[in-house]
Amino acid sequence: MFSKGNLVTYAIAFLFILALNFLLPRMMPGDPLMAIYGDEALITMTPELKAELVERFALDQPLWQQLGAYFVALFQGELGYSYYYNAPVLSVILGHLPWTLLLVGSSLLLSTILGITLGIESGWRRGSRTDRAMLAGLMSLNGFPDFFLGMLLLIAFGVTLGIFPLAGALTPYSGLSGLAWLLDVLRHLFLPLAALTLAHLAGGYLLTRNTMITVLKEPYMLTARAKGLSQRVLKYRHAGRNSMLPVVTRSGIWMGRVITGALFVELVFAYPGVGYLTYEALLARDYPIIQGVFLMVAIFVLAANFLIDLSYPKLDPRVSYAY
Amino acid sequence: MHIDLKREIKESGPGKTGLIILLLMIAVALLAPVLAPYDPYQQSTASLLSPSWSHWLGTNHVGQDVWSRLAFGARTSLLVGFGVGTLATLLGTAFGVSAALVGGLYEKVVMRMVDAFIVIPMIIVVILISAYIRPGILTLIFLLSLLSWQGGARIMRAQALSLKERGHVAAARSFGANRLYLAWRHVVPDLGPILLVEFIYGVRRAVFMEAGLAFLGISDPTVVSWGMMMRDALSFSYLDVWQWWLVPTGVALSLIIIGLTFVGHAAEPVIEPRLRGVGIA
Repeated sequence: MFSKGNLVTYAIAFLFILALNFLLPRMMPGDPLMAIYGDEALITMTPELKAELVERFALDQPLWQQLGAYFVALFQGELGYSYYYNAPVLSVILGHLPWTLLLVGSSLLLSTILGITLGIESGWRRGSRTDRAMLAGLMSLNGFPDFFLGMLLLIAFGVTLGIFPLAGALTPYSGLSGLAWLLDVLRHLFLPLAALTLAHLAGGYLLTRNTMITVLKEPYMLTARAKGLSQRVLKYRHAGRNSMLPVVTRSGIWMGRVITGALFVELVFAYPGVGYLTYEALLARDYPIIQGVFLMVAIFVLAANFLIDLSYPKLDPRVSYAY
Repeated sequence: MHIDLKREIKESGPGKTGLIILLLMIAVALLAPVLAPYDPYQQSTASLLSPSWSHWLGTNHVGQDVWSRLAFGARTSLLVGFGVGTLATLLGTAFGVSAALVGGLYEKVVMRMVDAFIVIPMIIVVILISAYIRPGILTLIFLLSLLSWQGGARIMRAQALSLKERGHVAAARSFGANRLYLAWRHVVPDLGPILLVEFIYGVRRAVFMEAGLAFLGISDPTVVSWGMMMRDALSFSYLDVWQWWLVPTGVALSLIIIGLTFVGHAAEPVIEPRLRGVGIA
């Protein structure tokens, strides 16, 4: 079931993002070409190219005509050209995207499963010593920013013990293939994945535990117990499943944040994902890349929200009656 | 609203711990000029020193005293945190309560905006804007507030909607009280505890963001910030300096966030009374 109201919300969000992308560089003082294309562009730019770009973006025209040109370029799937990487923005971003998807995807999966399991166990034992210890421990863990966790792991296992590589996603120029290549990827993935998973474990855990506690008070739990169902069935099938909804929503929201979610961790480990790309673009003032990433983020977020809306009634049939 | 927030926090062990941590941090921030033996911006040739009596936490790569920077960094962190917390809570309350009381088209438009903003990840918007205008500390506070009041507005609206139907508000309305009076005298005071919880989480988010942005290198380079210190320290991770440069800074940052989390958690039964009595305490 999908409501029309949500579509309007997403449309507003998307328009806001486009407006920001369009207006920000054009409102900057000075040469709009520089604000659109970044510092690097002006060095490489010949007068002919400059004239061509001015014409393409209608920069000598009034703002509303520029807007028209902007939309035309956008709907042709053109995100612009990065003079820093000397390549179209789209291909630069797509080149970095797989690493981010690998890192954030696996961490999302791990932290959600672990978080839900811990939350169910902890909520089931609410008020007990185990529950309180888990709660205090995970809440403290929650306070550590992911980049700090990452740095600690990097120094402990990378610098001091030397078990894991310090940076990157692959050993450069190693010419590995097959199984050896896969092992190399996993070795590079381990530390950033651990940092990200630890940092996001607590969120899912706290949410599940809270819902679990309220769910356990529902009358149907008493009925289930009176039927003589086993503890395991009670805990996981009756209480656990009903405690999952908020966490699924949260994971869905995270799916939208896939691109930015690993920003800091990627930076710590110089992991070549979109986050690291964003960081490099920031340093180089490579505006087309930053704008492109921003647009990609928007598309991911909206797609993820759309998917959550679709999956809701499957998880909780009560929701579909609400429309 | 029959929950005493003060009691709720006092009776919770972690709530107390959190409060003590926060008060300590605030004390460090306020007393920074007294606690710090050096000017945090004063560079010297004595770079990358190990801890000693004259430099408790050694010095950094340009010879600045790390302990002095740590103490002054608390100011930046807390200023941004409390600034954004206050402003965002104010905005959230203003929009949430007014939407609930005014209703109609106004409510629809406001809530639609709120929903749309909640969808967009704040960090990428801040990064995009910061890429064009390198924000100073005040600009950063405004920017973060503008982007983070929406979640609170949703909660305030829900609360105000339920309060609106209560007997005493209806009575006041029947006496001819206008909406502004109703909001100010009858709705906002009853929102008190929830405002506090929202404020605490707002502060936490902002402290996190400020450190993160400084870590990315898009904060004001002339203001000492913990995120920036960690960023500088990271490039020297192959030396021993991380032990007294990186770790204390990261721990200080984490402590503030943990303190806020604990206090927020202790106060959470205010929003969800069913959670009472099952906290850590």
